[in-house]
Amino acid sequence: MSIRTGYSTRPLPEAVTELKRQAGADQPRVVMFFGSASYEAGTLSREMQRAFPDAVVVGCSTAGEISGGKMLTGSVAALFLSEDIVADAASVVVEHLHSDASVGAALRMLEDRLGSPVASWDLATTVGLVLVDGLSGAEERLMEKLGDATDLVFVGGSAGDDLQFRRTYVLQQGQCYSDAAVLLVLRLKHGFDIVKTQSFVPAGKTLVATKVDEAARTVIEFNGQPALDAYAEALGVTPGLAPSLFLQNPLGLMIEGEPFVRSPQRVDGSRIVFYCQIKEDTELELLRGTDIVSDTRMAVEACKAAAGGIRGLIDFQCILRTLQLRQENRCDEYGGIFQGIPAVGFSTYGEAYLGHMNQTSTMLLFR
Amino acid sequence: MAGDIKRTLDSIIEQRARGSATIALSTKTKLILKGLNPDRFTLTSPDDPAILSKVRAAAAELGVALHAGSVSNVH
Repeated sequence: MSIRTGYSTRPLPEAVTELKRQAGADQPRVVMFFGSASYEAGTLSREMQRAFPDAVVVGCSTAGEISGGKMLTGSVAALFLSEDIVADAASVVVEHLHSDASVGAALRMLEDRLGSPVASWDLATTVGLVLVDGLSGAEERLMEKLGDATDLVFVGGSAGDDLQFRRTYVLQQGQCYSDAAVLLVLRLKHGFDIVKTQSFVPAGKTLVATKVDEAARTVIEFNGQPALDAYAEALGVTPGLAPSLFLQNPLGLMIEGEPFVRSPQRVDGSRIVFYCQIKEDTELELLRGTDIVSDTRMAVEACKAAAGGIRGLIDFQCILRTLQLRQENRCDEYGGIFQGIPAVGFSTYGEAYLGHMNQTSTMLLFR
Repeated sequence: MAGDIKRTLDSIIEQRARGSATIALSTKTKLILKGLNPDRFTLTSPDDPAILSKVRAAAAELGVALHAGSVSNVH
């Protein structure tokens, strides 16, 4: 069986019956599923656990799904990992992201379930997946705490709700949570690779966040000027026109030549509210867009070639990228990147890899 | 005095990485995401007390114990 994927656009409970058929005769060891907000999240989680009672079953709500080389809406997509791929797996929920979320306690539970301390885990074959409530605004803190506590790589994304921005859910072992994150640790038999790809390059203008409201993900001043004025000046447009260029010209925190994208969301007076936090005194590059489809294809192909082939992948794809692809009528082209690969994913409200970012695809590739 | 910020950031990376280039890079990334870019400091950068305080806090969060003249990892 190795890795299988499936999807269904049918209502519950038929959708889960269809997924179970697509999983094949063998019971998977791990099931990850991503469901449109059109499904009642609690029922979906319960039905999935009932269908795969012996598996580690985790998922989340989405703003679009990816499976079978297609970008989907109104569906539930799933990935099934067999014992040929996964030597061991454990999941845990981190609750109360807004208050006392204890990453340490969650990691201790994972250690108990896997029977060994985190420090002893082989980082070449053990990987963490993280699914977070996409409206929690707490992703940065969660990722920072995870990164402080362990060198284990966590990759993943923030749950969506089909752009309703009302409530998003993470799902684990038949339960349904908000203000929470699901952590899944996989011990893989053949290793893994991570792809982080974003279709932007520096435009040659630097903005320093000289005054911020970090908790509110807001920049008050860039370069000592009102944030909107400085952003508009860097673009060479009027402040009135600048918000219409947010999608094409986000900012990048450059790390080893690669941008960690910070996307402007909206204007609040002369302030700019972002989709992720920006620390005071951070130097950011104004970015300009390149081609999402060709960049992503190149990133996946390069990783496949370096690994000598892959068995499957999970794509955590920013909803802003999906919206751009929909606008350009290129969803089929994007889905085509994954033809011939068991691939599943969803459109996220934020992507995770070492930190929280925007307008990016983070992917876990199974060797 | 100068250079303490750069020395301390480099020590955090070295101690946390324990010889792994991959962990050294991920630790550097984590520091930059915390707002502390080691590439923005040199051995002649002034010892700004506010920045040094942030660096020490980052070391504590990353489980790296700092002592005068030496650094050790407490993970």
